[in-house]
Amino acid sequence: MSARRVTLLSSRFVVVLVVGLTLGLGLGGLGLGGAVGVPSAAAQAAPVAIKPPPRSATPAGKQVSDRDVVTRRDAAGRPAAAGKPATSKGMAIAFWLFAAITVAGSLFVITRKNLIAAVMGMVGTFFGLAALYMMLYAHFLAVVQMLVYAGAIMVLFVFVIMILNKPEDEPYATTGRAGKAVAGLGMAYLIYRLAAVLVSVDTTVTAPQLAAPATTAQGYDWGSTAAVGWNLFNDYLFPFEAVSILLLVAVVGSIAVARPLKDDDGEVLAADGAAPGGGA
Amino acid sequence: MLMTIGFSHFLVLAALLFAIGTAGVLLRKNVLIIMMSIELMLNAANLTILTFARMHGDLGGHSFAMVVIAVAAAEVAVGLAIVVAIFRGRRHVDVDKMNILKH
Repeated sequence: MSARRVTLLSSRFVVVLVVGLTLGLGLGGLGLGGAVGVPSAAAQAAPVAIKPPPRSATPAGKQVSDRDVVTRRDAAGRPAAAGKPATSKGMAIAFWLFAAITVAGSLFVITRKNLIAAVMGMVGTFFGLAALYMMLYAHFLAVVQMLVYAGAIMVLFVFVIMILNKPEDEPYATTGRAGKAVAGLGMAYLIYRLAAVLVSVDTTVTAPQLAAPATTAQGYDWGSTAAVGWNLFNDYLFPFEAVSILLLVAVVGSIAVARPLKDDDGEVLAADGAAPGGGA
Repeated sequence: MLMTIGFSHFLVLAALLFAIGTAGVLLRKNVLIIMMSIELMLNAANLTILTFARMHGDLGGHSFAMVVIAVAAAEVAVGLAIVVAIFRGRRHVDVDKMNILKH
């Protein structure tokens, strides 16, 4: 009994350690990147003096950044907000809030023993992600995210959890001391490589990044339903049709897999609890 | 860096989400938790795609994210059907005990 308890405690410790390391190194990477880049105070004080973004070296990038600078607000009669990154502070607060919600929810998912608690963490993650999509001007995708993920998929998960309704006795997959050591070493190496990438990320924020995106060539708001629909039905029509076939196959397949097995006379072969030698 | 949010913040957050999802897949034994972790990783990829779409001013990323969401929904439907079918015969959803194909 006590040995099992020790195992459970140490595996929980491994989870906490891995996650803590990931978080710490990730945030450290942000901090280092920020220290290398332009200080944010200077970026706020003189947004015009920031060097041009590197992507404007290409002709396409130049066109994009030009459209970024000339915002739609000009035409709407508010020329004062044209070049000034007025959104930075509120956007920063919103970003950190929703990023915290997202990360906390996903940590909830992988650490909770109670499956319903894990699903609730997942819902929090999806709401945070929808808000982040809004911040990226993906309004339509944010709503789709909430409808499909936080609505449909999570309800599906809750249904299956309620059907199964079985508490797990040992939730974490770490067997033996050697296995734990190897898993820990591998995970540490993975985190090291990931952190190396994160440290090298340049967090310099240029003025075009803060400007609102321009309208599409058809005159729709960027990221709106009309714009995404135009893009989907013109440039990506084949993937759209392929997805419809995929959904049809998935519907038929899931029904075929999940229904009880019956022979030709309609006799149930393997229904709930009727399977002989169930634990084999 | 703290009060000015650029694209790299979103990308780093997506990387963190993906790492957490990977840790969930590797560390947990319950199939449902593993599937939720896979959803986390798909969402991290979506966040990256949308950030790049915003970076390059290309709406194709939004169409891609739509496709990813639809594929994730189909994957969850089929995966949960398989989980229910397995649970019917074996009365557990522990991946460490699902090893009949190994022997």
